[in-house]
Amino acid sequence: MAVERTEAVLHLAKATRRYGDRAALDQVDLELEEGEVYALIGRNGAGKSTLAKAAIGALALDEGSVRVLGADPSRDRYVRREIGVAPQEIALYLHLTVAENLDVFAALAGVSRAERGAAVARAMDETVCGERAAERLENLSSGWRRRANLAAAIVHRPRLLVLDEPTEGLDTETLLILRRLIARLRADRTAILLISHNAEDVAVLADRLGVMEAGRLTVEGRPAELMAWAFGGRTELVVRLSAAAPLVEPILAARGLVASDQGLCWSGMVVDALAQAREIEMALRSVDVELRELTVHPPGLDALIGWATG
Amino acid sequence: MILVMVRVMALGLWRDRAGLVLVFVLPPLVFIVFATVFSAGASGRLDIRVGVVDQIGGADSQRLVDSLQRRLGGRLTRSPNVAALEDAIESGQVDAGLVLHGDLADASTPVTVLNHPGRKAAGEVLTAQVNAAVGEDLPELMLRREVARLAPLLALTPDQVRRSAGMPPGPASTPPFAAQRILPGGDPLVIYYAGAVSILFLMFTAMQGAMSLIDERRAGLWLRLGLSTGGVAPLLGGRMLWLTALGVIQALVLFQIAAAVYGVPVLTNVPAWSATAVCAAAASAGIALALAAACNTRDQAQPVSTFTFLILAAIGGSMAPRFLMPEALQTLGWLTPHTWAIEAYQTVLWRGLVNTTVLEAWTVLAGFAGVGFLAALWLEARRRL
Repeated sequence: MAVERTEAVLHLAKATRRYGDRAALDQVDLELEEGEVYALIGRNGAGKSTLAKAAIGALALDEGSVRVLGADPSRDRYVRREIGVAPQEIALYLHLTVAENLDVFAALAGVSRAERGAAVARAMDETVCGERAAERLENLSSGWRRRANLAAAIVHRPRLLVLDEPTEGLDTETLLILRRLIARLRADRTAILLISHNAEDVAVLADRLGVMEAGRLTVEGRPAELMAWAFGGRTELVVRLSAAAPLVEPILAARGLVASDQGLCWSGMVVDALAQAREIEMALRSVDVELRELTVHPPGLDALIGWATG
Repeated sequence: MILVMVRVMALGLWRDRAGLVLVFVLPPLVFIVFATVFSAGASGRLDIRVGVVDQIGGADSQRLVDSLQRRLGGRLTRSPNVAALEDAIESGQVDAGLVLHGDLADASTPVTVLNHPGRKAAGEVLTAQVNAAVGEDLPELMLRREVARLAPLLALTPDQVRRSAGMPPGPASTPPFAAQRILPGGDPLVIYYAGAVSILFLMFTAMQGAMSLIDERRAGLWLRLGLSTGGVAPLLGGRMLWLTALGVIQALVLFQIAAAVYGVPVLTNVPAWSATAVCAAAASAGIALALAAACNTRDQAQPVSTFTFLILAAIGGSMAPRFLMPEALQTLGWLTPHTWAIEAYQTVLWRGLVNTTVLEAWTVLAGFAGVGFLAALWLEARRRL
């Protein structure tokens, strides 16, 4: 059956899945358009991987619905060939070669025997793993296995690609290959759901960002807009002292900084961080407290997650 | 899609040398051990060790000892006296003892067989060997004994009796009253163990293959495989097909060795043997897939399957012949695929029949296969969602 191109590629409506009393997914709405890269971030156990499984139809929902190109992937098998997934683990047969693995997954995705050779060659070309095509996975390093894992996800040219922590343990070269691949797939109108802890990946690759907390999608938007909305013009200021100094605590606390590391480290989001930093430095000097480090940097994803999850 | 999975699993075994040895070398070796033990019993060749004390020291007693030496293939040793012989039996150096203490041609019971109460069978075998040795190698001795016994009844003259005593040693002049002819066909106990060992190892082989399900689940492969357009059924169907084919090949290797070494008539019963092998292999595959689908980890599956298969094998007759079991255990055995497979192989290969027992066995084994496969499908579908 031909798949119409008029629908959103992925559409989750009020998706809910409970395990006993705990909601692993709680009323999640999500829509992903053609050529869009959507990054899902959140703490461990927040429900990111559960959402990914629901998105590909590998998880039955208690409430709500999942549609991929207008069809339910858990029931409508024909739409599954439009989905590619690269799990966090190396989801390949270790006793097969790279090429054999790709051939198997192309066949399982419904690629015809006549087209399979070209599909395998193209996937290996795009992930730059052709030079190890004839080697068994069990003999390859983790970097090469990751490339093959990616190649298996795209060998059948899916229109929805789910990447679960694709940059975990990647060397610089493979990371660049992955970024180039994602850019090319986006240009090719593939919708990509990216689950990542890597702030740089998300900043560079994602068109939109969703933060998950306790099964809920708490915040959603474009990364730059979310940062501006969450932090305004504020910047993160970190002060490290060489020794705890009760005399300076009121000075730092008055600027909204919070202590950690037994009073040796103070940090917080502040407006006009450079001016604040100068004032703090002068105040510490006046009470003879040695300053070990004072840094000012824009807030990262961790800060955004912290902000989004309260 | 089914063939894709068959190819994946076939390559997995082909590239696993240790696995190949376990699948194709170990079962025939175990079978040969069992068959050697039991075929020897069935053919009357029981290798006992015997000690002998010759208190007569005459020509006839020496001939009897020489005859036994040939029959026992060098497992006959001489003891200096009865006490030493009893010690040897007690300590297990010999299985039974023989004391030649009276005139072999005259005394009413010139020979005594000594045996330990724990090894009565050895005494029975030795008694039979002594009778055979005297009957076949010392026939004139038997004749002299008979003449001496019958002389008063037949009113033989002393001269006639003396002449019989002077007969030269040699083969029996009278033909045997009854002759034996061994009919063609395999040794039933060898056929029994070919079937018993085959079904025992089929289960373990199938389980090893089925446990790839667990590995795939844990490696995230199942998530990717779940996106196949055919769904779970062809993925499990491919495994079922491969494990059944592998089981048939394994049985073929084992039975070919049984045919070559022990003359088990496989070639004259190819269609019925093939049907039995396919049903037994499919039953093993179905049960193994269901167990693998029910377990979360290899650590769970390994002991569960070993426990299950060993219990089924013990009850089903894969370890000891069923006819040695108490009635209740024999009845219980019909609940296991092992009993049905063994019965089918025996009926097909020993009796050369395809009767209702065989048809029932095929049906039951196919039932195990179907129920196991459906259970695996249901469990995997539930697990996936």
